Amino acid sequence: MTTDEVVGESSRGRRLGGHVVLGVLSLACVFPIYWLYATSLRAPQDVYSLSVLPWPLSTASYTEAFAKNDVLGMLFNTGVIAVLSALGQLLVALLAAYAFAAWRFPLQRLLYLMFVGTWLVPFQATMLPNYVLLSRLGLLETLAGVIVPTLCSALGVLLLREHLNSFPKELLDAARMDGRSSWSTLWTVVVPALRPALAALGILLAISAWNEYFWPAMVLQRSNAVVQLGLRSFMGTEGNDWGPLMATAGLACLPVFVLYLVLQRHIVNAFVRSGLK
Amino acid sequence: MSRIQLQGLTRRFGAVTAVDDIGLDVADGEFLVLLGPSGCGKSTLLRMIAGLLPPSEGRLWLDDTEITHLPPQRRDVAMVFQSYALYPHLSVARNIGFPLRTRKRPRAEIKAKVAEVAATLGLTDLLDRKPRELSGGQRQRVALGRALVRDPGAFLMDEPLSNLDAKLRAGTRAEIAGLHRRLRATTVYVTHDQVEAMTMATRIALLNEGRLEQLGTPSEVYDAPASVFAATFLGSPAMNVVDTTVRAVDGTLVAEAEGLRLSLGIDADIPDRPVRLGVRPEHLTLTSAGGQGIRAVVTAVENLGSEEVAHCDTGVSVRGPRPLGVVPGEAVTLSARPEHLHLFDHDSGRRLAWQAASVPQPV
Repeated sequence: MTTDEVVGESSRGRRLGGHVVLGVLSLACVFPIYWLYATSLRAPQDVYSLSVLPWPLSTASYTEAFAKNDVLGMLFNTGVIAVLSALGQLLVALLAAYAFAAWRFPLQRLLYLMFVGTWLVPFQATMLPNYVLLSRLGLLETLAGVIVPTLCSALGVLLLREHLNSFPKELLDAARMDGRSSWSTLWTVVVPALRPALAALGILLAISAWNEYFWPAMVLQRSNAVVQLGLRSFMGTEGNDWGPLMATAGLACLPVFVLYLVLQRHIVNAFVRSGLK
Repeated sequence: MSRIQLQGLTRRFGAVTAVDDIGLDVADGEFLVLLGPSGCGKSTLLRMIAGLLPPSEGRLWLDDTEITHLPPQRRDVAMVFQSYALYPHLSVARNIGFPLRTRKRPRAEIKAKVAEVAATLGLTDLLDRKPRELSGGQRQRVALGRALVRDPGAFLMDEPLSNLDAKLRAGTRAEIAGLHRRLRATTVYVTHDQVEAMTMATRIALLNEGRLEQLGTPSEVYDAPASVFAATFLGSPAMNVVDTTVRAVDGTLVAEAEGLRLSLGIDADIPDRPVRLGVRPEHLTLTSAGGQGIRAVVTAVENLGSEEVAHCDTGVSVRGPRPLGVVPGEAVTLSARPEHLHLFDHDSGRRLAWQAASVPQPV
């Protein structure tokens, strides 16, 4: 027989208090998102209305957003960047972490520390050199220019190496005894066994690439190729166009929400594992 | 099936020598057990035979082929790991078939071979399960199956039973021994468990601090231990070893120490010599107090079911059928027949053998 009672359970009142605090906090988190969608669904003349329920409902903001920008194209481009950037980082991180965890070579520790040390270099310090490099390569104003500099992620190497370090070494030995090369062992033994960690890290990387604003803004400059930049077109010196702005922002959030609903367990895992954000 | 030869095999990790100049000749079809305490280098030695670890010095042969520098996949040996090392994402059938798929064998052949091995090991009903859905004993058999499926020249096993509970261990021990009798496959088996070594081995290689302490059949190692280490490693409780002096008394050699006097049954006259005297607990008999033997006071009596072990204040233990008929606090005298006494050199700890018309020499 098991019950849900906990040893040292505090009184009903304290439990209730805890729930009230948590309820208020979650409301504070959810409200801005609700307000975003509520505003996007108001009729154009009601955009500044403070009524909690957006009534009458109107899709005018969405129509305007689609008319002014190629929203689907922007979403597609952002998706391409998020997916390629995440996959690229996963691949680099996997290969580097495998080498660090499975092999012994001279200066291993130093090289690893240097690898991970790049994580400590702030983005602002590498931003300009990267920009100059992209400019010389002729990659400015291209999606490739946004993706390429993000491909090597120290965070990914760090996380995957920790996973691989706790990976049973006897499995690697068994694969060697069974005749697999190091390369084949990686793909037929390590990757399948590491799938949950890879999925979690992939989602984390994809979401941060999707939400990235500053670097695409530098590389793509005036174009509205990705959705986070597209939002700018509704902001002007004579005021912001709140309806379509909220509609586009709402659409930009949707894929992340959908991903979250479908892969909830993996994402929570990803953030817990990374110990970040 | 294959013969494995090791010549001067040495492995150093920095300043530590884990395996020190080991030479062995494992005959075709033999079941050699590498036995020793933790850290004696037995697993390191096995990993060198497997090719998972390069030796610092020495050479290795499999039959007539030198394999010292061959990678593991090109040596004709299969290994069973302590943790079983089953691929967690593959079913039992795919785990067993893994080495064959690596060798790009035809699918039909792999299927037939896996079915055959599974039938041998009683795994036929489990082929679709994942390793996490199996019990420890079943995982162990899958690991064996993955080694068997290759028809290797030799099997290497690294403490394959240490993760099983006591009852399962006894059953699996018998299974492995039975498998070896049927296949007559050369096997090198690492364990720290003396029962496994005694019951399964055709020969035991006893290792201590990276060196080969003794090589022989289980009876040889048990009945004529080559050193104090070998004497005290095998047997439960361990052999009693006491510092004594061998001296001639009335033309007969006796071992003497305080409260101890045992006849060695040798008529000779030699100068006094300090030796270490060994006698197994089951070879000591209780005699009435006051006679010749070892005088001691019983401190504890252990009941092992069919037998009892009495521990005495001098550190000596006696083992015999229950009841032994002694109680803690009782003064006893223990005696042993001369043929059950083992003598070891006081300094080197090596076994001494009596050679007529000479003084005892280290062997």
